[in-house]
Amino acid sequence: MKKILTGGVGKVEVTGTVKALALDGIDIVVSSDMDAAMKLRVGQADFYLGTCHTGAGASLGVLVGLMGQPACHTFGRSVPTEDEVNSLLDQGKKVFGFSMDQIDVIAPLIARAIAARA
Amino acid sequence: MNTTLAAGANLDFSPAQQLTVIALCALTAFISHMALAVFNDGVRPFMLDFIQGRSTRSATTAVSFGLSAGFIFGLGAPMALSTGVLNPWLLFLPTDILGLLAPKKWIAPILGGAWGAVVVFGLNGANDVAHDLPVDFLTAMQQMSTPILFLFTLFPVLAITKQFGRVWGGVAGVLELALVVMTMKIWPNMFAGALAMAVGVLMLIGLAIAKDVRERKAARAEGGGVEEVVLADDPMASLFSSSAARLRKFLPLFMVLGAGVCVLAQMHIFGGGEATSFLIAKGHYSEAAQVDFYRVFGFIPLIATTALASGAYGIAGFTLVYPIGYLLPNPFLAAIVGAAVFAVEVLALSYIGKFLGKLPSVRDSSEHLRSAITDTLQLAILFGSLMAANAMGAGLGILVVGGLYLLNEAMGRPVVRMAAAPAAVIVGGILLNLLYWLDLFTPIKG
Repeated sequence: MKKILTGGVGKVEVTGTVKALALDGIDIVVSSDMDAAMKLRVGQADFYLGTCHTGAGASLGVLVGLMGQPACHTFGRSVPTEDEVNSLLDQGKKVFGFSMDQIDVIAPLIARAIAARA
Repeated sequence: MNTTLAAGANLDFSPAQQLTVIALCALTAFISHMALAVFNDGVRPFMLDFIQGRSTRSATTAVSFGLSAGFIFGLGAPMALSTGVLNPWLLFLPTDILGLLAPKKWIAPILGGAWGAVVVFGLNGANDVAHDLPVDFLTAMQQMSTPILFLFTLFPVLAITKQFGRVWGGVAGVLELALVVMTMKIWPNMFAGALAMAVGVLMLIGLAIAKDVRERKAARAEGGGVEEVVLADDPMASLFSSSAARLRKFLPLFMVLGAGVCVLAQMHIFGGGEATSFLIAKGHYSEAAQVDFYRVFGFIPLIATTALASGAYGIAGFTLVYPIGYLLPNPFLAAIVGAAVFAVEVLALSYIGKFLGKLPSVRDSSEHLRSAITDTLQLAILFGSLMAANAMGAGLGILVVGGLYLLNEAMGRPVVRMAAAPAAVIVGGILLNLLYWLDLFTPIKG
């Protein structure tokens, strides 16, 4: 079971979107950047999905500072392919930021990729 | 129609105003070059790596450009063109980029100042040209102000609903509606949403604080203390305190920055938020101050935590200097007050961070507030843009503007959704003028 936390402007929508997929092996919960950073550090959660207007700043919030740049990836306003998401997960990325008007596309993509590994 | 026309047409910058804009842009570019502050909240988290030397100036510039370009051309420019009023996206996002781009310290203020000059002279020129066109799409864009103002009033209701559920949301909705109706009846000269918005925001903050206090009590009752232990060896605390110390070292520079931004707001040639430019353009300064004041609550936690995490502050601080500036009687007072506000903000930053750490629901509220601001403005700006399309080209206008908006959606939103509709109005306006010259379109008389 992989635990995903959400934060940022569209956190309720991201959680709702992923829950609606009813994927096995993942648990997604509304959180916030600061709480998520602490939980990811101590292993109480596995991934963080953040959203904001630009897809980068507010969405990642303090996570870049606390988790380090290597653990974080922002899609900015671009829409990734399934392969890109998989290769990012292979690289050990745990924190993803994307733009809130692309939640409906990107959130399921990441959630499915994580579920496939759970 | 006549009053809106006047508001859009008579905005010529005085030499003093032009100098202020140019000087302020030079200063903000310099501050961005020093990595002391950036306007784009999205860029701030990337500044830590830059400050600590783990990422290069060019890489950081690329991040800044990538995250800001859409907002400069999609939001800042159309907003400034349609209102004749400057905004932070048009002024400060480019100076973020130019400051970071500058290879030498002394080049940054030159690039920033040059951008300021381009904006003040270019905006006037573009504004005059556009108003003289057969299809005056800038005047048509004034149509946006009504939906923006009235729908913006509802943003606390949406935030309350998202955070505290349907019942509280319903209560807030009924209360706000009643207050709007009452305000219209009793104080017809006041902006109808002013009181409703104030009550809505207070209600949200009250609910959030009550929830946090309740949960802290509950945690303490079941033998709390756990939270305190976690905080003791907290990597967040050490990161936050070193960032706060870095910013405090440059306090005098931040005070100059605060003075500059406050003076700009005081001159009434600048609107800080999405809704505010339209209000400033119409001379509704106290309403603009209220709108920007409530907006502050959605941004304080975001700006405080990203500043403490990255060691770079916001160009406009907590944006409190906007509403204060609109209301002050003269630029000299604005300079003094702006400097004082920034001094207090920078000095209080680490306390605010600690305080917010203890109030998770309040931080939550600010995210819901920003989300609600986006939701209300998205509908308002889309609807207002279609009204503008109708005003400038009736059915054909709606077809072009609505069509461009839908096309942007279908293409996966290359233009930020918020900015897609106003950008479509400008493109549509240019297209209608071309059709007029080709004798294929007769302008609608306003």
